[in-house]
Amino acid sequence: MSTKETQKRIELLQGTLDLLILRTLLLGPAHGHAIAKAIEFRSDDVLQVEQGSLYPALHRLIKRGCISVEEGTSENNRRAKFYKLTARGRRQLAAETSKWEKVARAIGRILRLAEQEGES
Amino acid sequence: MKRQDQMLEGLGQEIRDHVELETQDNIVRGMSPAAARRAALLKFGNPTLVAEDTRGVWRRLWLDELAQDLRFGLRMLFKTPGFTLVAVLTLALGIGANTAIFSLLNAVMLQSIPVRDPRQLVVLLWSAHGEPQNSNSNSYGDCQRSERSRSFTSSCSFTYPMFQEIRNGVDRFSAVSAFAGPAQLNLAGNGTATMVSGELVSGDYFQTLGVPVVLGRTLEAADEKPGAEAVTVLSYAYWQGAFGGGSGVIGKSITLNGVPFTIVGVADPRFTRLTPGKSQDLWLPLSQISGLRIPWGHPQSNDSWWLTVVARLAPGASLPQAQLAVSTLFRNQVIHDALLKPADDPQVALLPAERGLVGMRGDVKQPLFVLMAAVGILLLISCANVAGLMLSRASTRQKEMAVRLALGAGRGRITRQLLTESAMLSVAGAAIGILIADWGANALAAFVAANRYSSLYLNANPDFTVLAFTVGVALLTGIVFGLAPALRGTSVNVAPMLKENAASAAAVVSGKSQKFGLGNVLVVAQVTLSVIVLVGAGLVVHSLANLKAVDPGFDTHNILQFGVDPTLTGYYKENQIPPLYRELQSRLNGLPGVVSVSYSSDTLLDGSLWTSEVKIEGRADKAMVETQMLAVGPDFFATMRIPAMTGRLLDQADVESGHEVAVVNKAFVKKFLENRDPLGLHLGGEDPKDPQYEIIGVVGDTKYSDLRLAVEPTAFKPLKKGGVHFAVRTASDPLSVLPAARRVVADLDNNLPLFDVRRQTDRIERLLFNERLIARLAGLFGLLALVLACLGLYGLLAYEVAQRTREIGIRTALGAQKRDVLRLVGTQGLALVVSGIAFGVVAALLITRFLGSLLYEVRPTDPVTLFAVCILFLLVGALACWIPARRAALVDPMSALRCE
Repeated sequence: MSTKETQKRIELLQGTLDLLILRTLLLGPAHGHAIAKAIEFRSDDVLQVEQGSLYPALHRLIKRGCISVEEGTSENNRRAKFYKLTARGRRQLAAETSKWEKVARAIGRILRLAEQEGES
Repeated sequence: MKRQDQMLEGLGQEIRDHVELETQDNIVRGMSPAAARRAALLKFGNPTLVAEDTRGVWRRLWLDELAQDLRFGLRMLFKTPGFTLVAVLTLALGIGANTAIFSLLNAVMLQSIPVRDPRQLVVLLWSAHGEPQNSNSNSYGDCQRSERSRSFTSSCSFTYPMFQEIRNGVDRFSAVSAFAGPAQLNLAGNGTATMVSGELVSGDYFQTLGVPVVLGRTLEAADEKPGAEAVTVLSYAYWQGAFGGGSGVIGKSITLNGVPFTIVGVADPRFTRLTPGKSQDLWLPLSQISGLRIPWGHPQSNDSWWLTVVARLAPGASLPQAQLAVSTLFRNQVIHDALLKPADDPQVALLPAERGLVGMRGDVKQPLFVLMAAVGILLLISCANVAGLMLSRASTRQKEMAVRLALGAGRGRITRQLLTESAMLSVAGAAIGILIADWGANALAAFVAANRYSSLYLNANPDFTVLAFTVGVALLTGIVFGLAPALRGTSVNVAPMLKENAASAAAVVSGKSQKFGLGNVLVVAQVTLSVIVLVGAGLVVHSLANLKAVDPGFDTHNILQFGVDPTLTGYYKENQIPPLYRELQSRLNGLPGVVSVSYSSDTLLDGSLWTSEVKIEGRADKAMVETQMLAVGPDFFATMRIPAMTGRLLDQADVESGHEVAVVNKAFVKKFLENRDPLGLHLGGEDPKDPQYEIIGVVGDTKYSDLRLAVEPTAFKPLKKGGVHFAVRTASDPLSVLPAARRVVADLDNNLPLFDVRRQTDRIERLLFNERLIARLAGLFGLLALVLACLGLYGLLAYEVAQRTREIGIRTALGAQKRDVLRLVGTQGLALVVSGIAFGVVAALLITRFLGSLLYEVRPTDPVTLFAVCILFLLVGALACWIPARRAALVDPMSALRCE
């Protein structure tokens, strides 16, 4: 843990969390804690979610019809809510992902340019 | 909402599980359980906040807060039941009175005609700079009052041939119909003979209006053809009343004015009227008029203008197009028939039927608007009153407000909370108000109907317009009286409020800002408004008293009058009628309790008037003059107790003889004959062949049609033909002889119905209907306003005394006498009353002139009325001050100082 704590953590942009949740659920239904863990793990703990903020985000997505809920049993044998991607969620993810990549590429290009200019 | 609950179910457990799992993970990583839990919570954030945020995703915020406001408001209102009760009742009174008057206004002025698509219906009004040749015109109060003078004529009456031309010749209309009447008809063949009112209509009347029947069929175009079988359609109300709503009525035969008619249908119950204030028992084809011996219409004649014409615009036709078409046709026709000249510029205007068919609107418009203004002011007073109550309550709630503000409630949020409370009060007031209004409007409608000259059906039940009005008024009221206290309530300086105790803090506030504060302003406003209503009511009451004190020139008490019209039965010959009256007169005279009996063509003081142009012998000026006329039977003057002056009175011999005689009144002699001896002179028509009446006597002056009008010259001649009104003078209550009188008439002729049965005093009451309606209601509203204003004053002073108990205690302890304390409180109260009265009198002086024509021998600035209202207000206001002032004077200094 201690090594990790020295690393700078990046706070998530509003809306980005939604995207990450959708991406996580692409792998299959998961309960809240598992989603939080997955996001942290897959970003090498760089993206730090205040885990609580996951829940309003989940409910926003339910309300928009991107994910659905089903009852299931968690690893410690408790009844838990499992969140699952819907068809609409899948489409939303595809659209958001391509948008995100476009933006990221554009910003990256600008930053690289600035870097080259700075070097020369 | 269901989905929301489902989704949020188990949220708390889910969050707890989440933290639990994270804790387990941390323990696995080697933390102590306590540290693991702390780290997990740190990472998670505040669970309560998370749950709240998650719920927030689903919540529709304002709805939730509204529910919260309502719940809280309800709790606050129930916490102070006395306040709530007074406020709700005050508002109920204001809103109820407004709704009642508005219901009536709506029924008379606003309700749409109960026919299909009333907006497409137009009524035809023609005008010209001159009168048609040889015309005789009849109208029945449907249209605006028709104008007739040599230079300008405007009228809604058309001839039958003209109606036919318009019906067949204007393609911009999809349908054209005409109607006339209603006529008073003698109906026999259904029990005892009765008088009914029947409207004569064109055969397609029901089709044009789009009115269906509930039973049988409507009239049809074929029924209007000459020689068609005589048929009639009953109104729903008459069918219910006279035939008990039985379906066997279809095909039944009845006799109208001696002509047999077959009932073919019963009209839809919703079709109560075409013109406001006019309703009829049945409809008959207008081609039947000649058989019924109704004198005012002749279907074939070009001279008889007697039909009101309504039309429905064809689809796609505009009003100007149709107007141009019908105007051109009318112009060509009247010029072709040489009834009018091109220079007269004859033309037709189309008025939307809803506006053009005026009916009773003209008569009751002014009283209704006056009453509406009065109840509007009453509602303002109620608002000011409740605002005052709210204001004192807001002061006692300032600590609560301060606490809520300190805890982070937004001022907007608190304002909304307070407005919700006042809206709840006004909605509760409106709910009770609707009950008051329903009762009031029906009582009013019944009062109006009882005082009409023809049968009247007024639908004063609340409809959508009325409900919308009430809800609008209630909400507006809630905002008006709630806003000021709400703004005051939130402009609290938090810190000192919380430090001080509530009472002394409120005293600080009131001492500082309430000296000329809102509370005082509200009381002055209430007094001002009440004075306006009271002065208006006082003026009308005063006028009514003046009118009742007018000497009509005859003894109006203990006279019963009823109409009989044997000409309508169809079987009396003209020469049989005077003997019938003579027989009836002598039999009625024989009844116990009857003092004297006579009859006349019209009753006096009943709105009707007969005038005639006559030439009078012995006048220097040879021109014709207009005199009032009345045909009377023997003993008329004795029965009415009109004093004889000179000469002799009319007797039985004058009725029977061929020698025409007349009696005139003093005004006649004074105005036309310069007080010369009139006996032996003649009056009559211009043509020497017209009957010339010899003046044989002079009687005292009487009012004729109306109490307000000055006495005019009147000539009385013996009654020899037509229907009559019998007048029976009795020793005691005239109505007690009515059953016997009915039997006398039935014994003589069972098919002779009595109609228009009323005492002379009832007729005068009916004549004074507008004044009575306003005097009664405005008087009631004025007293209510007085009571409300004084309650407002009392409330304000009582509250201030309670707030200043400590101050008063200190003053008393320092040697102030009871007298001083009384003065302290009393001066403030009386100052408020006096300034309110001053403003009120000034406002009343500006406003009362709008009462104009309702007043009689009272100027709108009548000092007596103004003075009386001021004194009344001062007295009641002083009483309202006295009670709290006395309570203040009785404050015990020791307990006042100790109670802190």
